[in-house]
Amino acid sequence: MAWPQSIRTKRPVNFLLIPLMNLTALPLMLLWTAVGIFLFPALFFILKTTTRWDAEQITRRLIWVYGRGWLAIMLPFIRFELIGIKQDKIKPPCIYVANHLSFFDIYCLAFLPTFNVSIAIRNWPFKMYWYAPFMHMAGYINVENKKWEEIFEPAARVLSNGGALLFFPEGHRSRNGELQRFYSGAFKLAVETGAKIVPLCIKGTNEVLPPGRWWLSPAKVTIKALEPVNPKSLADSSSHRLIRKTVKNMMRQSLAEMALDPAGNTDVAGSECSL
Amino acid sequence: MTDREIIELIDKSIAEEFELDEAHMKPEALLFIDLELDSLDIVDLVVVLENAFQFKIREEDSIQEIRTLGDIHRFVINKKKELNKQ
Repeated sequence: MAWPQSIRTKRPVNFLLIPLMNLTALPLMLLWTAVGIFLFPALFFILKTTTRWDAEQITRRLIWVYGRGWLAIMLPFIRFELIGIKQDKIKPPCIYVANHLSFFDIYCLAFLPTFNVSIAIRNWPFKMYWYAPFMHMAGYINVENKKWEEIFEPAARVLSNGGALLFFPEGHRSRNGELQRFYSGAFKLAVETGAKIVPLCIKGTNEVLPPGRWWLSPAKVTIKALEPVNPKSLADSSSHRLIRKTVKNMMRQSLAEMALDPAGNTDVAGSECSL
Repeated sequence: MTDREIIELIDKSIAEEFELDEAHMKPEALLFIDLELDSLDIVDLVVVLENAFQFKIREEDSIQEIRTLGDIHRFVINKKKELNKQ
């Protein structure tokens, strides 16, 4: 079994960290998931009776806390860097679009400063029976093989209630780390609702857990929020194709710049993260 | 414009719009399965073809029967011939 090159050549200490990570973080994550599932009904009941949040908001908040727990477990092994993740810049209602490298991407989004996010994704995550009930309760949207009206109605409702949506416009995890083609759903939604698009560039999660591998590796993960794109600011505000291409170009350029920083140097706007 | 030129323009326009590998642009390629287009892409596809050939096709009933890239080739070639006759 070959070690990832960046680990093999740059961080020899990871020969020890890889087994340590898999012997500690993996069991802890399973335990954390079991604890979360066990405690959910009681926490849901308490929040439902003591707050004015609806069921979707309560579930999203609990999922966000669960995601933060995941990240806390990973913190000894993964160096996280956040760039431009600021409340005023990426405040909902808005549509986050992120590149997709790994199953781990979804947990990294617990770094967003808002819990009120509904995720629009393909069908397969809904087949994970231990997560599916919570995904349904949180109002996550299954976009696979759906008519546009079936996606638009719940998505527009999330935005009108002050929430945010997250799309992975590539549809699949990238197998080679390169940005793949973008599907149009997120951008058509932006045109039809007027919501701004917040591009999120993720780097490094494919070293932690690439598609097709079941063990974890230590790595540096960078999450960068680019400047939001307001559909009304573009020359043709009715063209989701134009917005799609504009956002993809921004992300492609930013990811290329991020790739030039293999040593993990933090730029001026960057910050190492703590939970 | 010859049939060959029409086919090349169709393939080039679709490959560019949806960032597809030209090796996948075969007449038998199913739009939803082999080219992995979705329902929104079909709307974009109509716009792309209209821009490339400068005619309206969105109100044509026969576009409902298109399943493969070859169906698009035949549809556009027939439409061009129809327009040339008028």
